[in-house]
Amino acid sequence: MASILVSEVMTGTYEFEDSGGDSVKNLSEAKVDVEYTIREIETNDNELKSFLFTLGCYEGETVTVISVLAENYVISVKDARYSIDWELAKAIIV
Amino acid sequence: MKIALTGNPNSGKTTMFNAITGKIEHVGNWAGVTIEKKEGDIKKNLNKTGIEITAVDLPGAYSMSPFTSEESITRDFVKNENPDVIINIVDATNLSRSLFFTTQLMELGIPVVVALNKSDLNEKKKTAINVKALSKALGCPVIKTISTKVSDNGLEALISKAVEVKGKSQTAPYDSKRIDFANAKAVEASDKKRYEFVNSIVSNVEDRKVSSNHQTKQDAADRILAHKWFGIPIFAAVMWAVFSISQTHLGPLLADTFAGWIDGLYAWTEGMLGEGVSPILSSLLLDGIIGGVGAVVGFLPLIMVLFFLLALLEDCGYMARVAVVMDRFFKRVGLSGKSIIPMVIGTGCAIPGIMATRTIKNERQRRTTAMLTPFMPCGAKLPVIALFAGTFFDDAAWVGTTMYFMGIAIIILGALIVVRITGEKNARSFFIMELPEYRFPSIKRATISMLSRGKAFIIKAGTIILLCNAAVQVMQTFNWQFQVVAEGAESTSILASIASPFAILLIPLGFGVWQLAAAAITGFIAKENVVGTLAVVYSITNFIDTEELALVSGGADVASVMGLTSVAALAYLMFNLFTPPCFAAIGAMNAEMEDRKWLWGGISFQFGMGYVVAFLTYQIGTLITTGSLGTGFITGFIAVAVMVGYVVHLVIKGNNKAQQKLKMSA
Repeated sequence: MASILVSEVMTGTYEFEDSGGDSVKNLSEAKVDVEYTIREIETNDNELKSFLFTLGCYEGETVTVISVLAENYVISVKDARYSIDWELAKAIIV
Repeated sequence: MKIALTGNPNSGKTTMFNAITGKIEHVGNWAGVTIEKKEGDIKKNLNKTGIEITAVDLPGAYSMSPFTSEESITRDFVKNENPDVIINIVDATNLSRSLFFTTQLMELGIPVVVALNKSDLNEKKKTAINVKALSKALGCPVIKTISTKVSDNGLEALISKAVEVKGKSQTAPYDSKRIDFANAKAVEASDKKRYEFVNSIVSNVEDRKVSSNHQTKQDAADRILAHKWFGIPIFAAVMWAVFSISQTHLGPLLADTFAGWIDGLYAWTEGMLGEGVSPILSSLLLDGIIGGVGAVVGFLPLIMVLFFLLALLEDCGYMARVAVVMDRFFKRVGLSGKSIIPMVIGTGCAIPGIMATRTIKNERQRRTTAMLTPFMPCGAKLPVIALFAGTFFDDAAWVGTTMYFMGIAIIILGALIVVRITGEKNARSFFIMELPEYRFPSIKRATISMLSRGKAFIIKAGTIILLCNAAVQVMQTFNWQFQVVAEGAESTSILASIASPFAILLIPLGFGVWQLAAAAITGFIAKENVVGTLAVVYSITNFIDTEELALVSGGADVASVMGLTSVAALAYLMFNLFTPPCFAAIGAMNAEMEDRKWLWGGISFQFGMGYVVAFLTYQIGTLITTGSLGTGFITGFIAVAVMVGYVVHLVIKGNNKAQQKLKMSA
């Protein structure tokens, strides 16, 4: 059982891809306290996309990363704070 | 007349519902606490019309297009049940998001009144909203409210305005009626325009001095409380403090006073019965009912202190941060951070906890969470924890804290196994959660929450638990020939003969006697019964002593009556905590899982987990404390090996399935 646990933790560790220069592509590479304009939500999950839309998180709107906590990002959209995970941050193209 | 309360999650709908109806529904400072609609009549002092007005509290929604099942409850209600008026509760600190939903509600043709709630928070942030201009722009009345305040909260004005607009027509400020809803592109374009329209209103009516995307003290607090490394130790320390106060310090102090009253009742009843009453009846009344129920109710003060503290934690906004901290670990095992919400609610009672799994979209995650939520020690299990902590471990706070973290550890392990069995380890999911603002917790709300939970506890003790204890007492008094069991021949009683076969199975766990088996069995009806039945079968009138200021009178005496070592006692405690929950909670699991295979798999898993955990605790603990293994090691080991072997077999099968899926998608 212990070995399963270890392997799960190992495979679960995300590998951060090289961002390739200074240009920030998505929210996971964004600098804290800088306001970005969303260019696209890159996902096949239409439901997620629509849900983000109802929160005011869609192309043309602005978003600011407030803090980075382990694998979660605290972001400010409209006048609220949300915690999103790394995968979602990667899907928000700025 | 019917009024629907609608609004974004955590805008304060249930707080307002409680304030206008006088009901005490569960509230919390986080999104998604309400998952079902609730109805109540509006209080007379707010309703001057004389007509009966029913308020309907609905789960929070961000829009009319439902993304979660509780959002669709809201949409279906306002669309199908034709409320006379909609009160749209708008979080005044977040106008730009909330008004999106408001403009959608106004298209329904039902008169809308906007309650601009949390307006007190805006004053603190120096944000001003021009209510008149907002009302004009929307085309509906707007009333400032602060539903957490007792007076001067705008609620009376809100209700009279709602009565006034009934039957009147309003024009929607933004109308999407001509749009072809089958055309996704057109809908998207229309919704974007809607947001533009909302933005233009907000820029006209809102005067914001401090932009919301600047760092605040709250953000600094988040960085500490949800920190990568400190998050978990802080959570552990908070839980330890909760247990220390409720189980070691304040709780026992109150419990002592309370136990004095129960002792008094016992003595008074004994005196009233006098000499002439049949000994069977008097023992049924005294030992069975007052003794058994009293033993359970004696723990009420401890539980109420604990509920009070948990309510404070929920109210201050900390729980949403706990979800963020746990997300990292839950994601590793195929659950989402949202799974923590049912588990936190499950600390009160597993049933609403299991029902809260509805907020999880992914079916497998939802079922897994419903199956694992009962591992969190609920309110009914607290008397059991308190009894064993008091009897065997000198009221130590670590016992309760450890049980919570054991629960979390078992949940994580369980999720890991389930995700492997289902072969869906490669499935991806996203996590997003609104972080509510921290606030100073309200003593009043915590008190109300504590009292309502305490009341439910007393009602349960006076009904189910009373009946069970009476039944246990009768079954213990008589044998199958309905003759009174002779002294020294207790093992011939009905109770003993039913429980004995089960007791044999429990020998490898260190507590293979019929009394303990009987208590564990009655625990499936309600977990408090474990305490009540132990009191009856060992005829201990009261676990709590008034003289010594000790929670459990002569802990050593009780321990010796039960004939358990500390290690076996800990094993017994864990067995009771981590086996399947009570029948009512199993019923809730059935309802939320909607699948027989999952239900029976879940129950078997819970049985297996309880057995394995108790076995390991007893055998390893005995090995450490005495240097040799406990009784029945070999048989128990075989049983555990078979169970683990079967799970491993299922995991391997699941892995193959996962690989096939990968190949198919490749």
